[in-house]
Amino acid sequence: MLSEKQFSKIERTIGGLKFAVVVILIFSIMMIVGTFFESWYGTDFASRVIYKKFPFMAVQAMMFLSIIFAAFLRLPPKKRLYGFYTIHAGLVTIGCGSLITYIAGVDGNIMLHPNEPAREIVLGEDELRITYPNEGRQFSRELPYTAFKTSLDEEFEDLTFADYYPYSENKVIWKKSSSTFKSWQSIQSSEYMISNPNVSQDFIMSLHPEATDYKSSTQMGPLAVHYLPASMSECFGNADKTGIVFWESQSKYCKTPTDYGSEIKTTKAGNRFLVIRDNDRLLTFFPDLSPWPLDSSLAPVQDTTLRIFNRKLFEKSPNLFLFGKKAAFFEEDKWTTVELAKEPVELPWMGFELTLLRHEDEKYPSQEPYYVTPIQSKGSLIKGNQKALKVKVRDKEYWVTDDKPISLLIDGKKVNIGIMKKVLTLPFEFVLKNFKMDKDPGTNNPASYESFVTLFTSNGPSSHHIYMNNPLKYSGFTFYQASYTPNKDGSYSSTLSANVDQGRPIKYLGSLLLVLGSIWHYIITRKRKKATESAEVQSNKEALA
Amino acid sequence: MKLMLTLFTLMFSLQSFGLSLDFCNDKLGRLPIQQGGRIKPLFVHAKESVKYMTGKSKVGDHSAIEAYCLLSFDSMGVENKVDWITSVQHYDLRKFLDLGDKKEASFNSLLGDKTELITEWRKQKEETSYKKALDRLLRKLQLFEEIKNGGNWKLYDKSGPTGAWVVLPDFLKEEKVLKAKDSSTNPFETVLFQSEKDYIADHGDDYKLELTFAKMRLPLWALVLSLLGLAGLVLTKGNAIPLGFAFTTVAVQTAYITMRVMISGRAPITNMYETVLFSGYAALLLALIVGHFKKDRQFIYVGLAYNFLSIMMINFSGGMLSGSISPLVPVLRDNFWLSTHVTAIIISYGALALSWILANTALIKARFKGITKQEMIEYTDQIYTCLKYGIVLLAGGIILGGVWADYSWGRFWGWDPKETWSLIVLCLYMAILHGKYTSWISPARFIPLNALAFLSVMMAWFGVNYILASGLHSYGFSEGGAIFLGSFFLAQFIILGITTKSFLDKFDVKRKVDQIQENPA
Repeated sequence: MLSEKQFSKIERTIGGLKFAVVVILIFSIMMIVGTFFESWYGTDFASRVIYKKFPFMAVQAMMFLSIIFAAFLRLPPKKRLYGFYTIHAGLVTIGCGSLITYIAGVDGNIMLHPNEPAREIVLGEDELRITYPNEGRQFSRELPYTAFKTSLDEEFEDLTFADYYPYSENKVIWKKSSSTFKSWQSIQSSEYMISNPNVSQDFIMSLHPEATDYKSSTQMGPLAVHYLPASMSECFGNADKTGIVFWESQSKYCKTPTDYGSEIKTTKAGNRFLVIRDNDRLLTFFPDLSPWPLDSSLAPVQDTTLRIFNRKLFEKSPNLFLFGKKAAFFEEDKWTTVELAKEPVELPWMGFELTLLRHEDEKYPSQEPYYVTPIQSKGSLIKGNQKALKVKVRDKEYWVTDDKPISLLIDGKKVNIGIMKKVLTLPFEFVLKNFKMDKDPGTNNPASYESFVTLFTSNGPSSHHIYMNNPLKYSGFTFYQASYTPNKDGSYSSTLSANVDQGRPIKYLGSLLLVLGSIWHYIITRKRKKATESAEVQSNKEALA
Repeated sequence: MKLMLTLFTLMFSLQSFGLSLDFCNDKLGRLPIQQGGRIKPLFVHAKESVKYMTGKSKVGDHSAIEAYCLLSFDSMGVENKVDWITSVQHYDLRKFLDLGDKKEASFNSLLGDKTELITEWRKQKEETSYKKALDRLLRKLQLFEEIKNGGNWKLYDKSGPTGAWVVLPDFLKEEKVLKAKDSSTNPFETVLFQSEKDYIADHGDDYKLELTFAKMRLPLWALVLSLLGLAGLVLTKGNAIPLGFAFTTVAVQTAYITMRVMISGRAPITNMYETVLFSGYAALLLALIVGHFKKDRQFIYVGLAYNFLSIMMINFSGGMLSGSISPLVPVLRDNFWLSTHVTAIIISYGALALSWILANTALIKARFKGITKQEMIEYTDQIYTCLKYGIVLLAGGIILGGVWADYSWGRFWGWDPKETWSLIVLCLYMAILHGKYTSWISPARFIPLNALAFLSVMMAWFGVNYILASGLHSYGFSEGGAIFLGSFFLAQFIILGITTKSFLDKFDVKRKVDQIQENPA
């Protein structure tokens, strides 16, 4: 235990002015750094590094102690210090109120889509959610509130959670598959660059079953790009007036209807079709409708590797076919097939050129997150806007990100793993009945936005009107009009910020004390000054007398 | 296009009838127009547009209204030889436009380069100064094009059952002009002024206040008056002349601010221009009141000096502070909170600016003219007085801000840069005030520290918007202020560098004692 002398010394140090000055300066410097961090790396990063971290909290606690001890030092109460006591009591009260809010408060957003019931408040904290959909089990684990990469090093059933990156970007890595594929299977992947003097874009396409991050077709403005097995390039050089080719994906050959001796006929409804013999069965193809054949009972045939392909379908609009190291496109009334090497190849659209940057027959591309320090520009993150966690299952590693949950099969059990925001379910329900936005006359700038909502509670429904500076208070929650999102159908969804703040009345009381204390202090100082002056005048008079 | 052709033919035929096409004159300035979400006189918009695009108040020999009107009628066949010139300062941009040594370009020739400019702008991946210069030029060019197509302003059209705001090509219907031709020798003017008559009949002529407001040029008068007041302080011994000018300055600024409030319908503190204006005004008033009770002439000086500086900014830093009145973002549309929270903060900045002027005056005077110990103590007292008002108002303002934030967003405090910096200012001044009672800050050290501490106010006031430029208060952000702030910081450091050492050598007792202890001889 501290002796009275020791306590008195501590009291004098902490309650002293020099301590106050030092603590205030440290607090200010931390805040200055915080604002610059916020400006460079974003609000969230600044909170994770400074505002919501122990050192900053500790400095605030020191200020708190300094304020309390400064008042203690000046006890028993003196009349001339009543204002000072009130100011310090006000500050302490505000501190207590803030602490309560920090510990018990709720702060989140609720998104209301037109006429859809909503009862979930999305909170700021991130959590890892593991769901076993078939068993109806769900688990969640809070993710660490850090700004830097860290390892969770934690096991959960068959899963091991390893590296966690609160800010990450993806890079492409080319992996060797652990599975084996049949020799006829096309598992190639390629990276290309399409460019003209104004724009250029890199893109990767893949046929590999494990390349889940990449697709085999994409749309770039009006241009449709299709990625096909290398052997299919033959089908584009094969001249035939009908434009129809058959492709056998296992034996990798292209044939025209003439090669099969098949004749193109037309149904009563005007659809072209042709029939060919495949061993002992007849397959019917509708080349303008589907690549798959139908059997004699007009049911789709799944167990054939034969496909039909109508090139004419791709002649009207810009279509680019890529086969790895070759490309084909329709130009000046004919199909052109070109070899792709390191040199760019001219395409017939808007001066675009195509370059093959990389081609792999077996390796597949995969996006792997890596940690970055976030960068903010114009109020939003332009780099590092992704959270990622490495999950290990036996000898395999997977990355879960906040915008891409994963779904795994472990011993036949399905597991979904995702990084999501924590959610709080309300005991009542909202429905957005109407959203009103006024604009400044003659412009598209919103002048005000308002939500008309119906609240469904155990006491029955009630209607409310929420707008800027006019929140809805219900059952301890306060809902504020925060923002809105336009929907495709022309309607708007409304976002309300929702919070519970138990510290609110305490903070208001503290603020009031602070203001009253300042006024009181000012009055006392003035009175004392006047009294001193009149005493001086009096003593001067006496001296003169 | 068809309409344009018809009007073009009409203009041609009117001209051949000897009817006047000379309607683009200064009289048009009083036309009510709808632009940028507000109803205002054409004079104000034309003046602002010309200033924005050319950086000047005239285009060649033409007044802003004439030039704006002629450009608006350009596509309708009204011939004009007005050459709109914009300055092009960025080296790379000049190179891109093949301007050689010329630092300006004609908008008409730039129109031909528009596609190339947009392509060049797209090519810039990083937010460099070049990209910003391209961006600025493209915006100006877009405005030029919009005016040229007649689509930049809307006129009140009562030809239907209810009045509507329509763009010029839709407003100038052939039949209207032909009808006006029977009764007037200047049919276009008649048609245009019909819009004014119709608007006034339906909505009154309150909008004309803005015309008077813009034409009176009160900020310039206030500048001259406060300068005369300062001259009065130097040249006369009595208080009558400087006080006379100080009160007239206050009266002129009161009129200016009142008119601004009446026009915008809100507290006069919603953008940088208004906060600078208001802080100078409030600080002068505060200084006069405090000076009156303290019977101290110094307060007239400091009030006028700060007011003069703030009005200098209002008048001459058009690129950084825009005086244009425009609609507010929704969250700020609350006059109660605007007029309490923001006003308290801005007056506090004004009061702290007074202490800053006093501190710098003391330092410079001590260095170049010499002051007595008694004068130094007086300066300390005067600075302390200003500081008291500044800090109480700032603390009150921050609390009010917290309450407003709680009321609007549901949180008192969010570590948003604007609010954090206002707290930093408060903390730094609190540290100085607390330190004043320790041996660390003697009355002599108090003065340079105050000059230095004001940099935190500048950072909170301008730096957050011009340097940090992020966070929830983004609605006040604009460009061009970073250089101003940098120069301000540099100037303050130079003043401190030149003056502080000799000041402390002379007045800081503790330093003297240390020096004597080190060199007893």
